[in-house]
Amino acid sequence: MDETDPGDPESLRDAVLRHARGTLGREWDDLSPRERLAAVSWATRERILGRMLATERRWRRTDAKRVAYLSMEFLMGRSLENNLRNLGLWDECRAGLAELGVDVEELAASEADAALGNGGLGRLAACFLDAMASLDVPGYGYGINYEYGLFRQSIDGGWQRERPDAWRALGTPWLVERADEAVVVPLRGHIEHVDGEGPLGGHWLGWDVLVGVPHDMPVVGHGGRTVNALRLYSARASDEFDIAIFNEGDYLEAVRRKMESETVSKVLYPPDGDERGRELRLVQEYFFTSCAIQDIVKAYLRDHDDLAGLPDKVAIQLNDTHPALAVAELMRVLMDEHGLGWDAAWSITTRTLAYTNHTLLPEALECWSAALLRRVLPRHLQIVEHIDHRFQGEVGARFPGDEARRARMAIVDRGGHEPMVRMAHLAIVGSHSVNGVARLHSELVKSQLVPDFHGMWPERFNNKTNGVTHRRWLAGCNPELAALLDDALGTAWRDDLTLLRGLEPFADDASFREDFLRIKHANKERLATIVEHTAHVPIDPCSLFDVQAKRIHEYKRQLLMALGVVHEYLELLDGRTPPVPRSSLFAGKAAPGYWAARQHIKFINSIARVIDADPRARDWMRVAFVPDYRVSLAERMIPAADLSEQISTAGMEASGTGNMKFALNGALTLGTLDGANIEIRDEVGEENIFIFGLTADEVAQHRERGSYRPRELYEQVPELRRVLDALDGDLFSSGSGTHFRWIKDALLDGGDPFFVLADLPAWIVTQQRVGRLFADPHAWARKAVLNVARMGFFSSDRTVREYARDIWHVPVRDVQAPRSSCSDPITLVEPPS
Amino acid sequence: MHIDVQPRDHVLVLKPYEPRIDSHVAVEFRHALGDHAASSRRLLLDLSEVEFIDSSGLGAIVAAHRRAHEHGGLVICAPSEVVLRLFRLARLDRIMQIAKDVDEALSALST
Repeated sequence: MDETDPGDPESLRDAVLRHARGTLGREWDDLSPRERLAAVSWATRERILGRMLATERRWRRTDAKRVAYLSMEFLMGRSLENNLRNLGLWDECRAGLAELGVDVEELAASEADAALGNGGLGRLAACFLDAMASLDVPGYGYGINYEYGLFRQSIDGGWQRERPDAWRALGTPWLVERADEAVVVPLRGHIEHVDGEGPLGGHWLGWDVLVGVPHDMPVVGHGGRTVNALRLYSARASDEFDIAIFNEGDYLEAVRRKMESETVSKVLYPPDGDERGRELRLVQEYFFTSCAIQDIVKAYLRDHDDLAGLPDKVAIQLNDTHPALAVAELMRVLMDEHGLGWDAAWSITTRTLAYTNHTLLPEALECWSAALLRRVLPRHLQIVEHIDHRFQGEVGARFPGDEARRARMAIVDRGGHEPMVRMAHLAIVGSHSVNGVARLHSELVKSQLVPDFHGMWPERFNNKTNGVTHRRWLAGCNPELAALLDDALGTAWRDDLTLLRGLEPFADDASFREDFLRIKHANKERLATIVEHTAHVPIDPCSLFDVQAKRIHEYKRQLLMALGVVHEYLELLDGRTPPVPRSSLFAGKAAPGYWAARQHIKFINSIARVIDADPRARDWMRVAFVPDYRVSLAERMIPAADLSEQISTAGMEASGTGNMKFALNGALTLGTLDGANIEIRDEVGEENIFIFGLTADEVAQHRERGSYRPRELYEQVPELRRVLDALDGDLFSSGSGTHFRWIKDALLDGGDPFFVLADLPAWIVTQQRVGRLFADPHAWARKAVLNVARMGFFSSDRTVREYARDIWHVPVRDVQAPRSSCSDPITLVEPPS
Repeated sequence: MHIDVQPRDHVLVLKPYEPRIDSHVAVEFRHALGDHAASSRRLLLDLSEVEFIDSSGLGAIVAAHRRAHEHGGLVICAPSEVVLRLFRLARLDRIMQIAKDVDEALSALST
């Protein structure tokens, strides 16, 4: 522990009291609960910032190569507990606060989530930041300091309602504003040709200016030795500009312009239904990308003279295509602001940037109309068109005469009624590495999504299976299980999750299984209380907790589980009882404009209401939709789950990371062969996971041949017919006026594009196996323990190591070496040259 | 806005005393520069008192540059770091001479 920030309970307590008076201006006893949280957070922050400065000094002293992780989303969740745990001060803080009569767990649980993301992509980014700091990688996140995070969800009459999430309206100690490092971001305007330069000539004039003000959120690595930062930008109008208008007396105009500028960082993913919304989204993407690129180049030039060396000192990872404009922006900065020629700038750009693909859904691949880009970013469009022109020449030379291939690979798609810029193509052409996020996904990227690019540059494509930080998703959210693991294995697994393999023999130890089951039961009791308070459904902790918690989307198939629940209910009405009582728990948010997803939430709540009211069923089954799924709720649901539903249509989920978190906490997976489920099966063993349903190949063949006929299934399988026919009447809609007949029609007449009916019979049969196994707690626990033991591969530490070795070419800390103190040199593993 | 005008040899040295040249003063700035650019002298625009210049201000300079081109051109001098970056942003450094101070600019105009 650094002597400047002592971590004993007394010092922590004194620091908290000091901040109560010095920062908040009150005596401790007079503080509100929110102010007490603030005082503790400020005391923790001062311990972090000293380490952050020391870390930065270390990186500069060693001229370390840095990683910039550009992401539109960072789903960070709560900070206090995670920071204290990573600093190793959690227990000390608990003791120090106990003297003040405060329960630190309760206090930490009152912190608002930083919900700067929609789901998996944003949470992955947060896990990577944690892993980079824990592995002593100089890794920095770059994103947007949204004033409003992902909406807060409530359920009203079964329907989702959205409320704004002003997560930092009351201030947060976790953001350090760096007003002096603000950057100017130009946009709009036009290209004015003054002289006779070539296609890249002309002058960008008439632009408006946004100011990007950085805010650093410290990211504490495990052990507290390395503290990196997540740099989030707020959009501001230029202060002087406003003052100038103000001085002329047009206060309202000043305010209007200020608000218009600040809209850019106001809300996470504004609705993109109209042109104005789309433009705002594009400006958001450009805004944070431009801020990041300018900051990266400026930081590099602080210690280096020659931009040619940038790729040796900086790696920029693009998390999906949202920051793909980095290709054009880095080119612009290098050429226009630093005077480099095209070839030198292009070499630097492509050796610095790398791109992670996250989706196989064609509709999710971003395209921007060239007309919009011309209006918002005329200079960037010029550069993109020139990149495309040169790239087309390269394709033409490589595949002479293959015009169809050239058209397919073009960055600017001119085949439709208006030219569109394909951001994935821009990212691929402008990067030296393109990776998918699970083995299957990476194969499908190569074979189905962009096979032409893979044919041209096979060496550019690679896989980096996602991972999750076990510090938050096991040690933090399931401390009792973590303590049990410490007892069994020692604490080294906290540094190296693969050491959990040592747990395998304990699966056959009855007393260990007893402990394991006891902890699971306690977690389930805790969740049952939350469910009763928030969803108003009483659930029995002894029942099987069958959980599907994730963003609501048709391809993730909450509908499949819901129809399965309807089947189980109808079985009960027919007098067939299941092997064990079951609580089917759903959680997740639907995009506000996604009609079908919102309907699914209503449908689930309608099923829950019917079952809750039916005395024939409610002793055997309960259904609950737990509102407002977010990181902190996930931290309660995941440790309590017995069964983890990972049932997306095969070939559609890139990876998933919820699947990893559940299995790591001892839930058995009921899953399709999709995303990382396949690798989870390979790790935990086929006998310790419940796999069902069509494979990705079978789905693809059906699609190709048009051989899937859901109506035939309906006619041939009595169980399906019974479930769907139950939607005809008012069984689930009585009183509400909402009917779900449309679901039946969509499945039978709409082609069932997500193969729900195709997989429902297999889901039903597999659930019978699940129930029979759960009836034998020790047999169940044995498999659950083996799941925990074999999930070491899915640590984000492993993923980050692979990125560091294969893409970023930066050294990582050697976990085999003993953990050093703050002042010792680190033992690093160099990447292969 | 106030622009100080000093004839130096065959050069007119124009020095705007305006910390911020933006849309509020751009029209006036454009007219003032235009009038001088139409004279038969070379122009030296001393930006040492300017802290920020937006694209409308740059547009006025581009227009003056075009007109002054017939009479030997326009040279910019003493831009702040921020102002220089904005010239680069618009790629105007490619078509205009930018000197670090008045002496260097006068020397450039005399060659």
